[in-house]
Amino acid sequence: MTISEELKTRLSNALIDGDAEIAEAAAVEALDGGADPLALINDVMIPALTVVGNQFQNGEVFLPELMLAGDAAQQVSKHVEAAIAAQGKTSEPKGVVVIGTVQGDIHDIGKNIVVTMLKAHGFRVVDLGRNVASSSFLTAAIENNAGVVAMSSLMTTTRPMIENTINLFGEVGERAKYKMIVGGGCVTEDWASTIGADGYSADAVGAVELCKQFSQ
Amino acid sequence: MRSNWLPEIVKRAQSGPYMKEADFDLKLTKRIKELVREYGIRYDANNLCPADDDMADRVWQAGLQLFVEMGSYCQSTERCIRFTRDEVLEILAQEPGAVTLGMGKDAVVMRHRGVEDPQRAIMHSGPTGLPSSEKYHPLILLSCAQEPLVDCLGAGSVSTYHGERILPGTPLEVLGSRRDASVAREAIRMAGRPGMHINDVAVSLTCAGKMAAFDTDAGLRPSDAILVSQMVELKTDFDQLSRVAHLYNIGAVRVDLMTPLLGGVGGAAPGTAVVSVADHLLGAVLYDADYHMFSLTHLHYVNNTDPLGLWTQSMVGQALARNTKIVCLNDIYVVSGPGAKELFYECAAGALVTTVSGFNMQGAGTTGGFFPDRTTGLEARFIAEVSRASLNLTRQDAAQLVKEILPCYQATITSPNRGKPFNEVYDVETVQPTTEWLDMYHAVKEDLRRIGLKLA
Repeated sequence: MTISEELKTRLSNALIDGDAEIAEAAAVEALDGGADPLALINDVMIPALTVVGNQFQNGEVFLPELMLAGDAAQQVSKHVEAAIAAQGKTSEPKGVVVIGTVQGDIHDIGKNIVVTMLKAHGFRVVDLGRNVASSSFLTAAIENNAGVVAMSSLMTTTRPMIENTINLFGEVGERAKYKMIVGGGCVTEDWASTIGADGYSADAVGAVELCKQFSQ
Repeated sequence: MRSNWLPEIVKRAQSGPYMKEADFDLKLTKRIKELVREYGIRYDANNLCPADDDMADRVWQAGLQLFVEMGSYCQSTERCIRFTRDEVLEILAQEPGAVTLGMGKDAVVMRHRGVEDPQRAIMHSGPTGLPSSEKYHPLILLSCAQEPLVDCLGAGSVSTYHGERILPGTPLEVLGSRRDASVAREAIRMAGRPGMHINDVAVSLTCAGKMAAFDTDAGLRPSDAILVSQMVELKTDFDQLSRVAHLYNIGAVRVDLMTPLLGGVGGAAPGTAVVSVADHLLGAVLYDADYHMFSLTHLHYVNNTDPLGLWTQSMVGQALARNTKIVCLNDIYVVSGPGAKELFYECAAGALVTTVSGFNMQGAGTTGGFFPDRTTGLEARFIAEVSRASLNLTRQDAAQLVKEILPCYQATITSPNRGKPFNEVYDVETVQPTTEWLDMYHAVKEDLRRIGLKLA
């Protein structure tokens, strides 16, 4: 069953405004009215969060708006996933991304933005946090059957750990199984290419595009 | 800080309310939005240095309330370290309002500055926040230390040790830290200012690395400092608090480093100003800082000379100048590099606004910290000169001047001119600026004189 345009707009606007309460109520109303939960994700949630992501990228809104939209989406997701499960289905993620800030680097705001955007686009994200050892990336990639391993570094002093991690995947014969993408304040496209990364992005929108491309 | 209060802080870090970090961030961002609304704090793009005492006081009140309600998040324990309003105010009341930096004839007293304060700002320089190569690091430091208007030197960071990459937590970090401290000592000796205060060795990212920088003979001395960092926003951990403990043990200078993100958890300029005030309070209460290094960073451009950044720095400076005695240092961070005229215009805007708003000076962090070896002593000389020329200005004067300076660089913030490395703008034999770089410096000074700034 399709949901009314009015309800769709209400949910979309609530997600864009980061109003978790209204978004949750609209989602419940839609699902109670028989809306297809997968359509809710594809036709409302992802487009709404893409709007916020683009606004953030263009400097029209800042991190709080992105965080609040992510939080609202999380509240909606609880109901949507329950509805999918009730239908005896599972929601297939677009892909699995293992992500973290490399060892020694404690700066994770940029990485967190990428995590929010990836989740909004339907990826399953295994967020290892900050100061992540090369071996932890490897273990998580294997255990979660990831498609993409994403690493970031803000500082020049910690940047070599990205290369070390890529090299470790190669040493143990796991490199070909994963697409390894990199980013962060001190990382450039040229450097990414010299260390053999599969992809580089200067921003969160680009990182999502890379993951989409590598998860097809 | 209360005498011997570090054990109490560690205790609270282990017993405060447990919270996942993402929940702390979300709660923080929501509360900042509410406080900005409650206190009526508004950004005005037409006035980047507001002469609005009442708004400065509201920024202060909102920041104090935020710090008391949220406390500091300890990443080591995932708990909030909280303080009562009375505890915070009691600690602030004990602030001495000045700190002696360096030793002997080269020592300077860096003081709390007021709004439109006629006393000069102390000038810190060095390749802080910007990596240097082993080859040019000594010369870059010397170029800064030899500038007569520079009072203190930051040792910066070199990312290799004898050509090997320095990875955090490895023995090379310890060796690199001591090496950089020694190079900085040699630079101030060669400049004829052996007692000059050195404000950090930035290569080390761990407490062990920082500790390794100290050596009374050849490294840092108790008259020098290392930075104790905050993680954005309002976060600390036991590694940082251990630095405080070490600095107590050896009687060295404690510096609170904060890098609030403009566009980060605080959002736009008003929220970032509020959380920046709270960050300063964290430094005063948890780190017992002798001085505070405010390094505001735009989330997208990694500078603080855009209009939002200038307004934020002005309001934070005024809020702290009017309501505390803490000693504040502002780190001017620009997108341009040496060899680009825009670098001087960015520095001029930053120095004007922050001098009249109550800060001491540090700079310049160039190229958003991305391009190695792109910093020189000439921009430090320039910042100090503009700061001194700003001493008799009102906030309205500064705002008017900045309005005229902004068009000289604003369009380049999104497509910056990163300039040239040190060896292309300085003669590496004489350690003096090239004619081309010097001509740009003189040309921009002339432009500033033309719009009314009384530069020497």
